[in-house]
Amino acid sequence: MMKAPVGGAKHQLLPSCSILALLAAFALPAQAQAAGTRAGSTISNTASASYDAGGGTTTIDSNRVDLLVDELLDVTVDSSNPADVPTTPGATGQVLTFSVTNNGNGVEAFGLSTIANAGGDNYDPVVTQIYLDNGDGIFDASTDTLYTAGANDPSLNPDQSITVFVLATTPGTVVDGNRGIVSLVAAAKTGTGAPGTSFAGQGEGGGDAVVGSTGADGTDAGAFIVSAATVTLLKSAVVTNSLGTADPIPGATITYTIVATVAGSGSVSGLAITDNIPADTSYVPGSITLGGSAQSDAADADAGDYNGTRINVALGPVAGGQTRTVTFRTTIQ
Amino acid sequence: MRTALFLLVATLMPGQALAANQVALDNNVFVERVSTDAQGKQKILLEEPKVVVPGDRLVFVLNYRNAGAQPADKFVITNPMPAAVRFADAGDTSPLVSVDGGKQWGLLSDLTVPMTDGSRRSAQPADVTHVRWAFQKPIPVGGTGKLMFRGVVK
Repeated sequence: MMKAPVGGAKHQLLPSCSILALLAAFALPAQAQAAGTRAGSTISNTASASYDAGGGTTTIDSNRVDLLVDELLDVTVDSSNPADVPTTPGATGQVLTFSVTNNGNGVEAFGLSTIANAGGDNYDPVVTQIYLDNGDGIFDASTDTLYTAGANDPSLNPDQSITVFVLATTPGTVVDGNRGIVSLVAAAKTGTGAPGTSFAGQGEGGGDAVVGSTGADGTDAGAFIVSAATVTLLKSAVVTNSLGTADPIPGATITYTIVATVAGSGSVSGLAITDNIPADTSYVPGSITLGGSAQSDAADADAGDYNGTRINVALGPVAGGQTRTVTFRTTIQ
Repeated sequence: MRTALFLLVATLMPGQALAANQVALDNNVFVERVSTDAQGKQKILLEEPKVVVPGDRLVFVLNYRNAGAQPADKFVITNPMPAAVRFADAGDTSPLVSVDGGKQWGLLSDLTVPMTDGSRRSAQPADVTHVRWAFQKPIPVGGTGKLMFRGVVK
């Protein structure tokens, strides 16, 4: 924006304006910000000429041109998740993290919104809330601020960033390996549009606001990946007796084998196998094995125990693709 | 006493009145915009600086005129770079520049800048703090000319 030109050519007897201007220029803070010269600041230019027209050296100043720097509207959004965020079917409060940066040269507020149905994925995460980080970069609903569009749009200085958390619910119908994309959109409240679009008088410091190369809005995508695991149990029984046959006669021994197979890209935690001892049979003490290793009947450091009515083997966390084999024996009464 | 009074009057007088018989230096700033027409041909336009934002290319144009009655000898024009403008080029006007706030002058290609480790590197356009044109011949009475340089808003 052009200001009215001031000043003009001056005689040598007047104080040298160019020296004053020079001192003023060095007194200014360094303009080293990536976002550039702050909106509302003034660029002043004055040239000087010196010459000798026969009466010694004369110095004159040109007129001064003052330019008011207008506000550039630019913003970028970056996903802060280095990889897809694991989720499970039906999970709530699943967090994607984004960073919103004001690349303009003035203070600007940005409206936030999300897009979860743009396609290119297997399902649409259901966005429930957007939170503004308190500065520690870690999501905590008790210390971060719930975002309400139009009510607390984050206002950022030039080059300032804010961390934004998008919370979503994973539909219960998704299956292992499904991917769901959510994009965060940040748009300058002053306005958006094609680069070069200007909003007269709406810039910081009284100048215009001009849409920069980003269109004054930014977007980036984050994604969830469903990482689920399923457990299948297969139980079999083998009868042996003193006759050397497989007949379930009194005194015969039944060896039960339970194979737990975990499938999927996730893992299960706290998996335990429990089996009641059938009626008319009695448990063979000390007969529990896990992966071929004998387990004691007491509830102690090892995984197995027998409490008088059932056996129990705690398998703990098991990743997809692995199996656990448990055996125990009973005697037919 | 008489001289002192004259000086005081001179200070109070508008500058233009005194300049009437002197050399005049007129300073204009334009914004250089590149527009591409339907044929994909690029056109460079100089516009009034109605809107100025970081990254804009500014063209500084200096017009001089010897309106005095005597030739102006040892004619030198100096333009300190505004703090928020990074020097780009001066077309084919081959000025002297300073990269140290006006202490030393030379062609940009001949100047160096100290590094933090004590060594020196070649000066770059962004290092320029002042632009100067020094004329070898006097500007005749009524003589005019135009100088220019470009800068980018930081």
